[in-house]
Amino acid sequence: MGLAGAKTVSDRQSFFERHSFLLRRLHSLSGIVPIGVFLIAHLTTNSSLAWGRFALRGEGEGMSIAQGGVKYFQEEVSYINEQVPHLLLIEVTLWVSIAFHAILGVYYATTGKGNTAHYPHMDNWRYSLQRISGYLGIAFIFYHVATLRWGWTWLVPGGTQWSHHFSASTLAAAIQGSPEGWTALGVAVALLYFAGITLLVFHFANGLWTAAITWGLTVSVPAQKRWGLVCFGLGAGLMLAAWSSLGAAFMVDPQEARATEAEMILHEHGPEELQRIENKLEGRPPADEHANAGGEG
Amino acid sequence: MSLPQAHQSTLAWRQANRAKAVPGRTIVMTVRRCEGPGKLGWFESFKIPVEPNENVISCLQKIAANPVTADGKETTPVVWDSGCLEEVCGACTMVINGTVRQSCSCLIDEYAPEEGDEITLEPMSKFPVIRDLWVDRARLFNSLKRVRGWVPIDSTAALGPGPKEDQATQSTRYAISECMSCGCCLEACPQFLLEGDEDAWDSAFIGAHAIAQARLFNLHGTGKNLAPERLDELMGPGGVADCGNAQNCVKVCPKGVPLTESIGAMGRGVTMHAVTRFFKGK
Repeated sequence: MGLAGAKTVSDRQSFFERHSFLLRRLHSLSGIVPIGVFLIAHLTTNSSLAWGRFALRGEGEGMSIAQGGVKYFQEEVSYINEQVPHLLLIEVTLWVSIAFHAILGVYYATTGKGNTAHYPHMDNWRYSLQRISGYLGIAFIFYHVATLRWGWTWLVPGGTQWSHHFSASTLAAAIQGSPEGWTALGVAVALLYFAGITLLVFHFANGLWTAAITWGLTVSVPAQKRWGLVCFGLGAGLMLAAWSSLGAAFMVDPQEARATEAEMILHEHGPEELQRIENKLEGRPPADEHANAGGEG
Repeated sequence: MSLPQAHQSTLAWRQANRAKAVPGRTIVMTVRRCEGPGKLGWFESFKIPVEPNENVISCLQKIAANPVTADGKETTPVVWDSGCLEEVCGACTMVINGTVRQSCSCLIDEYAPEEGDEITLEPMSKFPVIRDLWVDRARLFNSLKRVRGWVPIDSTAALGPGPKEDQATQSTRYAISECMSCGCCLEACPQFLLEGDEDAWDSAFIGAHAIAQARLFNLHGTGKNLAPERLDELMGPGGVADCGNAQNCVKVCPKGVPLTESIGAMGRGVTMHAVTRFFKGK
């Protein structure tokens, strides 16, 4: 066979092999930016349901912790949904990044085989947990986004549709199982959320630790330990934020929260706008021609 | 077999055993047998009267002299590989009670201190078995070729004195130079899996030992001439990025080679190399 017919090494390599380095580093990077950065923002915002009362200052006068949390959380959600520019672009970037990170992550995870039974070291457990939390995390994120963002209400016990106008009450109803409070299926959803957020926060903190080795930021063992402490601290903080978000969503009474949110819309936009939003949410036709025409002009 | 595997490797566990070892006892050695490459394995147990300070190899020699199993059945002698018998050649590496180590330095008193205690021997699982406990470690050496684990000298003429080496670099390099290519780091690695197809060796995970050797020679005054080629290899499929940071390698390394630090250092190396190549390369 002549040389002309000979295949070079790069011809024989698959797409993954030819671009293995770039794909590996993009996988690592995408876990930090944008996914990790979003996770921090997302959990900080959500945990305001627990601590929002204390951030309201004078505005929260006379409010309970739950009521203040609902108010502050709703203000945050309204800001994101009504004032953050290019929201769809941000969302699509996140979805694409998560899909990229997930698909490559599953592919990479299949190239290894855990052996904690024989080598039960802490680092080795983290190796296996990183992969398990990745798999389960993908399933959880899909459920979370599909139900609360894309409105797949048939997957929500009680069929609650999340609304950014009634962010805390619909969130609490979706997690507790019904707008009236806890149901058995609601407990199952709540446990799913607890497992999902716990695993994902671990995945991020541990991923941040290993990324530093991958990129060559931490080389010496003491440096890896120091960076490990930083990642542990960040992970512990995020875990606290995640658990307090969920704890608040467990404890908020959906009906009381709904009243607080309705009050806010009433105060901000008046009764017609409240009626319009509620009609839209319940799937009713607009109340009358006048309200429809006079609403936003 | 339920062995306290989690504790097998701890020094305290071994020292405590050694202190209480019963003289004149008989132990049971269970060996995973295999007649040849690709054939199914099975276990055979042997009763062995042991003397103080015996090691696994001397027990295997007793089995070779009298290959009769614990239930009185005649069998073939167990085949194993060994060389130096002082833990510097790496040839006798095998899986003992579920974890990898050299069998020559594995003392019976530390692993089976009481009458009837059992020790299980298996070949390394990441390399093809030639027979019984003897494996073919060719892929390990292929990895060293991939990273050009040598100092290039392109003439037979006298080149004069070598380049000067500073103390700090020497200390780093000395620790890595202790690697004896035994394969422990690969056996314990969850990312390094058995690969029978030789054609796949160049794209499968290269292993911690080779990454450390790339660092050793990149730090050498003359060896660094090949640094770009080594970094190219470590950037490719199966390179340093395939490491999953389970860090088992450094824990099972009998020579204490700074494997995880070398992985970090080469991670830094390929990051810089990639940036340089992006802006300056062809």
